[in-house]
Amino acid sequence: MMADFNEFKRWVARAAEKAGIGDFELYYTCGESTEAEGFGHEINGFTSSVEGGVSLRCAVGGKMGYASTQEMGESEAEELVRRAAENAAVLESEEPTLFVEGGLAYEEHPAPEYPLPDAGELTRIVLELQEKMLAADPMVTESSQSVAASGTERVAIFNSRGLDVSASAGMASFGVAPIVSNGEEMSNEYEVKLGDPAKTDFDKLIEKAVTGAKNKLGGTVPETGAMPVVFAPEAMRALLGTFSSAFSSEMAQKGLSALRDKEGEMVAGANVTLVDDPFFAGVAMPMPFDAEGSPTHRKNVIENGRLVTLLYNLQTGAKAGRGTTGNAARAGYASKVGVRPFVMYLAPGDLSEEELIRKAGRGVYINMLGGLHAGANPISGDFSLQSGGFLIEDGKKTTPIKSFTVAGNFFTMLSQITDIASNLEPPRGGGSRGFTSPSVLVEGLTVAGK
Amino acid sequence: MISKELCERVLLRAVSTGADYAEIFAERTLNHSIEMVGGGVDAINDNLVAGAAIRVYKGLRSVMASTVDTSEAGLMKCAQRVAEALGEGKAEISINLAERVIANIHQVLDAPSSAGNRRKVDILRAACSAAKEYDGAVRQVTGTFLDVDHNILIASTDGLYAADRQIRTRLSVRAVAEKEGQTQTGSCSPGRRMGMEMFDGLIDPVSVGREAARQAVVMAGAGYCPAGVMPVAIENGFGGVIFHEACGHSLEASSVALNASQFCGKLGQKIANEKVTAIDDGTIPNAWGSINIDDEGTPSRKRVLIERGVLKTYMIDKFNGRRMGMESTASSRRQSYAYTPTSRMTNTYIAAGEDRNEDIIASMEYGLYARKMGGGSVNPVTGEFNFAVDEGYIVRDGKICEPVRGASLVGKGSEIIQRIDMVGTDMDMGQGMCGSSSGSIPTNVGQPLIRVSSITVGGR
Repeated sequence: MMADFNEFKRWVARAAEKAGIGDFELYYTCGESTEAEGFGHEINGFTSSVEGGVSLRCAVGGKMGYASTQEMGESEAEELVRRAAENAAVLESEEPTLFVEGGLAYEEHPAPEYPLPDAGELTRIVLELQEKMLAADPMVTESSQSVAASGTERVAIFNSRGLDVSASAGMASFGVAPIVSNGEEMSNEYEVKLGDPAKTDFDKLIEKAVTGAKNKLGGTVPETGAMPVVFAPEAMRALLGTFSSAFSSEMAQKGLSALRDKEGEMVAGANVTLVDDPFFAGVAMPMPFDAEGSPTHRKNVIENGRLVTLLYNLQTGAKAGRGTTGNAARAGYASKVGVRPFVMYLAPGDLSEEELIRKAGRGVYINMLGGLHAGANPISGDFSLQSGGFLIEDGKKTTPIKSFTVAGNFFTMLSQITDIASNLEPPRGGGSRGFTSPSVLVEGLTVAGK
Repeated sequence: MISKELCERVLLRAVSTGADYAEIFAERTLNHSIEMVGGGVDAINDNLVAGAAIRVYKGLRSVMASTVDTSEAGLMKCAQRVAEALGEGKAEISINLAERVIANIHQVLDAPSSAGNRRKVDILRAACSAAKEYDGAVRQVTGTFLDVDHNILIASTDGLYAADRQIRTRLSVRAVAEKEGQTQTGSCSPGRRMGMEMFDGLIDPVSVGREAARQAVVMAGAGYCPAGVMPVAIENGFGGVIFHEACGHSLEASSVALNASQFCGKLGQKIANEKVTAIDDGTIPNAWGSINIDDEGTPSRKRVLIERGVLKTYMIDKFNGRRMGMESTASSRRQSYAYTPTSRMTNTYIAAGEDRNEDIIASMEYGLYARKMGGGSVNPVTGEFNFAVDEGYIVRDGKICEPVRGASLVGKGSEIIQRIDMVGTDMDMGQGMCGSSSGSIPTNVGQPLIRVSSITVGGR
């Protein structure tokens, strides 16, 4: 695929020249992955896929036209230029058409390297995961599944200003999805671990998932009312991810962020520091450049409660009369360049999670939030979300709870975090972007149960 | 796209190590969308998706590989990959493809992919301007004109060689309103399996804009929804998302075949209130979730899932059907060639009942009237679901009173469908994108006004 891209670059450059287009950029991604899926005592599915494509941006009449394709032939190069120019002709936004110059310096942070398991090895691992999971507990049912995957990801950007950068990373992941039953009721859990299979503790992965699934059996519905809430890392990182668009200068400039015009102001409690770090230890694909090709770096977004900066790309930075923060992003190769964090996380505090729970006294511990795409409004900050977890009684996690909601406002909540734990882990997914957080204790949220 | 003869050669290669079934799914799709922000065209997304996937089965094992290279060499290489991944063996089946001409139940008169940008921008601008002008409280309006020209070809060792062209068009407007520092949003997003003719009388862009603005303005003036357990009346149209989440996903073979659904082994049993008849119908002409054939090439059909409370069928694809010992119900769907297809919904709705709308509202002493629903999600294993109420009102003494914001509904599917105890007469549908393991696909949800006798309302 990469060889195809190198040839395609030349064809597009020629087509752009023919069309009288001076400035253009090609953004290319290619992901190759192999995945084995286990069910019962056998492999039930095996998938190997190659996916990716190339997007052309070009300046035509002062507007940035886009078009993208998965076909990288010579005739498609001309067609791509024609489509991008046609699209540019109807654009009305006043965004400057900026491209990164070649020859910039980039920080070097190598991706974690380990031998990637091949198809045979993935099969062996999945069968091992299945056998271990099915034997882990009498409550584990035959419906439990596991998956092992490995793949490589490549991103390359090439433009008419001399920029020619690329990055790639390989990664393997192992997931288990036990379904447990007590004869009356079923429940399930999913846990995934990224990294070198030789250094992955599969027993621990399975134990964590099976324990999580068993904990959801039975259980009760909590009382309705305002009470202290401890968000476990998996719940807090989901909230961060859902509301992260508020930190985008693009959203702010479009009037779609509650943090618009708040740079320099206190937006959270003094105990809150929010960081964006492309080189967070353990990230699967550390990215030295963003989706426009600008160098990336670590930055505090909120520092001791004060909003230091929103996140910018070249276009939004120029509009605000400042530079980029290196946060240009595309949701996929075909998407318009926008703004997103790399690894965004809440800086850890000193307490252990147990100490946080002790301080909560009586309340709820939430480790599952559902329906974030629907029950949370990233613009207003309001959320009302399906939740799962445990009661906190006498400073301890006790009975499992489910079928309840937690409601509040994210931006208000940033000032209602009374304590932050020290349990910060790498983000769960692969790739170069993600969210993570330690556990937090929040006052003033409403729980709706019975 | 790919000739019958080439398909035969590729399928032969795919079954060369002993597969008992092989299939090629090839696709060429033009995705086009225009975004408007603050009255100006802000972005255009224009993407050609082209590739193929080859899948083989041997008993209860499936192997799939995908490629962007649809040349003969690329397809043969892809077929070789699946054959090798399946293991060692020799060919056991022969291939004889026959072209199947599929009846087109979804006529498209004016393909958006050749309509040009200007016409689309005019429609989008009419909708966005109407939203902005609706009320002084409307602070920002964003809109999208989306059209998809999805061409698929499926060839399989069952002898099938069939193609379909799926054209879809959608207009969506989102308005942001602010009152006394409180910001709320409203949206309206109608779509059809149609072309530009959708705007000749069926969908009025101005009404779409106004509806998004109306909702935003009402909600910006609303107080928080109180939390608790109460009766809820859910309006028609997108309100049908309750059935989609609470029940629909758990009736998909992807969960049922693995014995991982709350409704396993319940065929013929009463699982819902007798007022509930639920249908999944892919044949509704030009509906958003409609198809001529599913993504395994099976001609689309109408399925009665639940009849007067009794479970009649699941939604089944070929592969999961093997494990269940049941035929496909034409329910196999995938976002694109890069996803492994599985059983999914099309246009899913609760059929009209006999209760009058006024009686449903009058029956509630205190509760919530959910006029517009947002999206939701479900865990098909446990049936625990959630969804958001985008526009809600308190009902007191049988009357709809003040609007409330920030409400969500949670519960367990198998319990909630027993509690749907009143079903109105005016069935209508709403459009959504449903995300699951085989990607994001267009689906309709629908119902008349219904009452759920008691459900947990999340609020504060």
